[in-house]
Amino acid sequence: MLVLVLALALGVTLGLLTDIGVPPSMLTYAGVAVLAALDSCISGVRSSLEETFTDRAFVFGFITNTLMAGFIVFIGDRIGVKELYLAAVVAFGVRVFDNLGVVRSIMFRRRGWE
Amino acid sequence: MPQPQKDDQGGRLLHLRDGSMRALHASEHVVERGFHDVHLLASLVIGMLLVGFLLVAQWRGNDTVTQTLEGQSDQDLAIIIQELTVENVSLRDEVMRVQARILDAERATVSRTEVLNEATRELNALRLIAGLEAALGPGIIVSISDPDRVLLPQDFVALVHELRTGGAEAIAVNDVRLDARSGFGGGNGRVSVEGQTFSQNYEITAIGASSDLEQALTLPGGLKTTLTTFPGVTVEIEQSDSVTVPAKEAPVLVYGEAVQ
Repeated sequence: MLVLVLALALGVTLGLLTDIGVPPSMLTYAGVAVLAALDSCISGVRSSLEETFTDRAFVFGFITNTLMAGFIVFIGDRIGVKELYLAAVVAFGVRVFDNLGVVRSIMFRRRGWE
Repeated sequence: MPQPQKDDQGGRLLHLRDGSMRALHASEHVVERGFHDVHLLASLVIGMLLVGFLLVAQWRGNDTVTQTLEGQSDQDLAIIIQELTVENVSLRDEVMRVQARILDAERATVSRTEVLNEATRELNALRLIAGLEAALGPGIIVSISDPDRVLLPQDFVALVHELRTGGAEAIAVNDVRLDARSGFGGGNGRVSVEGQTFSQNYEITAIGASSDLEQALTLPGGLKTTLTTFPGVTVEIEQSDSVTVPAKEAPVLVYGEAVQ
């Protein structure tokens, strides 16, 4: 788990070093994409703890989640329902917290805290 | 135990519980693979890297958008509009003030230019009268031939006097410019003026109203008549639209000073 935190820190450092900023018009897309990626990672952690992890499924899920999130925002923009991105945000948010809860409970049980 | 949960909180939570229970089971019975699986670790690490990177990029983008108008709330926009309006009004005032100053300056420049032009005209007139500038204009050319050398300096004094009375503005004798201090001298058939001596042939040029000048000399009993009574003397007067009178050097005054 520590490795993952370090990887996140490394990603942040890389971002800081490369001096990249998302253009304002793409902010919603990138924001939802970040949520999707975060969701994929946490569900990856969960499935690894549940012994159901396959790298193929993880990579595929990572990519499709991110693309789908972007697509939903795009559709919302096109059909004049700009708030459609909220659907993706809510969906990913719920999933992130669900998965986090599962991960937490598994870890607690393993350590005999629960 | 699972039955009431299903009734209370729906299938999803039950499913979650199921999953976690299954995972618990697995972790108890199977040798823990966990994060030691290379593929798993690599995938998750790359995933987290991406998440971190995207987070920072998003953060930056958000920072820039809050600085643009798009990212501002309605209240902030209203305040900005008000500030801009106030600033606009004060800038307009300043523009008007500056324009008024420009107008003032232009007026001052115009009046100064007029004064300057007036002074320049005056100066030019004075330089013309003083003989410091060559003069060009309508006038007459008086050619006098005196083969017998009978003319005296006084005759030329009288001639110049007549021309001045006729309104001459600039007079020259044989291309020697006369000014207020010029005098004629000589004798024995010679006439000297401004340090130069002439005899027998004289050409006097004068700038002024040419017909007036001619009349001044050709009046009945005037100077032309008088001069032509001398033996051999002939006087020819020619009017011209363009007579040139040369300049003379600036005088060096030793004794006099202008009274302020």
